[in-house]
Amino acid sequence: MIYGDKKTGVLVQGATGKQGEFHIGLMNAYARQVGGRGVVAGVTPGKGGQQVHGIPVYNTVKEAMREHDTGAAVIFVPAGAAADSIMEEANAGIPTIVCITEHIPVHDTMKAVAYARAQGSSVIGPNCPGLLSPGEVKMGIMPAQLFSSGSVGVISRSGTLTYEVVDELTRAGIGQSTVVGIGGDPVIGQTFVDVLERFRRDPQTKAVVLIGEVGGNLEEEGAQATDLPIVAYIAGKSAPPDKRMGHAGAIVEGGEGDARSKIARLRKLDVPVASRPSEIPEMVRGLFRSC
Amino acid sequence: MKLLEHEAKKVLKEAGIAIPAGFLINVPEELPAHLPALSDRIMLKAQVDVGGRGKAGGILMADPATAVATARELFSRKIKGLPVRQVLAEEHLIIRHEYYLSITVDRSSRQPLVLFADAGGVDIETTAREHPEAIRKDVVNPLLRDIPPFMLRDLLGTAPKEIGPAINRLYHAFCDRDAILAEINPLVTTPQGVYAADAKFIVDDNALGRQGITVNRDLSEREREAEKHGFSYVELGGNIGVIGNGAGLTMATLDLIEFYGGRAANFLDVGGGAESERVMYAVRLVAGVPSVKVIVVNLLGGITKCDEVAKGIISAGISQKVIVRLAGTNEAEGRLLLVEKGYEMLDTMDLVVKKAVEVAAS
Repeated sequence: MIYGDKKTGVLVQGATGKQGEFHIGLMNAYARQVGGRGVVAGVTPGKGGQQVHGIPVYNTVKEAMREHDTGAAVIFVPAGAAADSIMEEANAGIPTIVCITEHIPVHDTMKAVAYARAQGSSVIGPNCPGLLSPGEVKMGIMPAQLFSSGSVGVISRSGTLTYEVVDELTRAGIGQSTVVGIGGDPVIGQTFVDVLERFRRDPQTKAVVLIGEVGGNLEEEGAQATDLPIVAYIAGKSAPPDKRMGHAGAIVEGGEGDARSKIARLRKLDVPVASRPSEIPEMVRGLFRSC
Repeated sequence: MKLLEHEAKKVLKEAGIAIPAGFLINVPEELPAHLPALSDRIMLKAQVDVGGRGKAGGILMADPATAVATARELFSRKIKGLPVRQVLAEEHLIIRHEYYLSITVDRSSRQPLVLFADAGGVDIETTAREHPEAIRKDVVNPLLRDIPPFMLRDLLGTAPKEIGPAINRLYHAFCDRDAILAEINPLVTTPQGVYAADAKFIVDDNALGRQGITVNRDLSEREREAEKHGFSYVELGGNIGVIGNGAGLTMATLDLIEFYGGRAANFLDVGGGAESERVMYAVRLVAGVPSVKVIVVNLLGGITKCDEVAKGIISAGISQKVIVRLAGTNEAEGRLLLVEKGYEMLDTMDLVVKKAVEVAAS
């Protein structure tokens, strides 16, 4: 657990929307299963006084904070208002802010992330599935039934590909400490570097699976900055240049950020790189054998 | 979305950056009316979206006597395969020195990155390789409205101070117009002042709406059709159609096709929580590409219901073979529906892809 545990109370912004309501239900089902606090309050401007799955809804984050002890927030509001939500939560002093929302203009994200940083908050996402520490807490939309508790951390720019890999790990008997989806946008709050640093300080995490994709060089930066044993997988080897591959951030630009050069740089740092997702569990076992 | 040169220059002009006198013409015959307002030497620039346009023959010089004939020649050319539909006729500047200026979104620092180089007119990758000392760069805190004076001094080095305001104005245009790239190459000093001789501008696809752009020209017709349904779609040229949910999983499926020796025709990410109707549209869209021989469906999800996906695949009623891997909610129900109709279901992404590559090669 690197961003929260059973004792973390979660606030959901955009609580009364279709997505917000649906996922408050799932997050709290998980909290009941593991004996955690889960979602304790919701926020939707103008809907204060309502309830969602028995959780009270407030008009502002500050109002919710007066009544509840919250250590994290999850955002489900539409793209036009999501950056404002990040800033509202940072302003109220929430340390961990998970932004699920996709399609936020990148200038809005840059401002919100800079503001949150100045306030001392960490932003996960945007355009991400959130995080899950098996047996402790779920903040976001990951399908909890695939996860099992253990000592391998997972960091990924993707959603469903993360579930694929977690499923493979669980089936192979390899449990996870925390799984973090950092988001598919070009500008994100927590990058591989930040999450790897949290994993380094986490006594539960012994090794990390890093799931990257084309675009930028954040994977290599992360691998370079840590001494944790890592197995990597990079999606998009067959991605043509200048084409956005589904994620706003998954694009090979100006000859930079292509999968092959990324993989070559990771291998140069002695990071084993899987050529298929199904190879990952065996390579993780290899890490444990060698350390 | 990329702007064409004349559109990018309009943005710069509105931001207060000087641009050469110029006129956009649709046919050569429109040129004579503008000649009195242009210089004795005229630049004719094809408005096509390609890199290395000058070297590819997309920029011609003329004088007033030969201008129409030269424009006719340019309109008849294809520049890297693209027809010339519009030409920008511009005055020829008396250039003292050429510089390079750009602003991009820097992923590592999560801030705008300003690059300034003493060597303009050549692409920045070449300068970075041959004269790295000529490039100066700084990141700007996005909460600042202006680039602070110390940073402008740092960027300019020994270059004339009169360039400073142009850098700040480009930064304003970059922020106000939701750019992910704003580039002036070359930025030139002339006896009349500082001018943007060429311009490149890319607008964030997530901000097209608030920038008043209704049609994303960078997308093909099929890609636009896909966007209307909320799909991400890319054409790739092979013969295996690919449908997945989530960009990472879909990309990994493409890579696996390559790993097993096949070639993907396209990439379609249906997104989260796909209902049967959306899946039907997705299957039809992918099957509509004539080269597609077989389709791989690889869907995994907590929210995506497998029986909905199965109904969508069946109701699409396409002629090509569809090979399916489904995992998640209502998996057994989905499997039953598909198997009843004779569809091939396999358990892992390795197996579905391997099978599809075999079918595509047969």
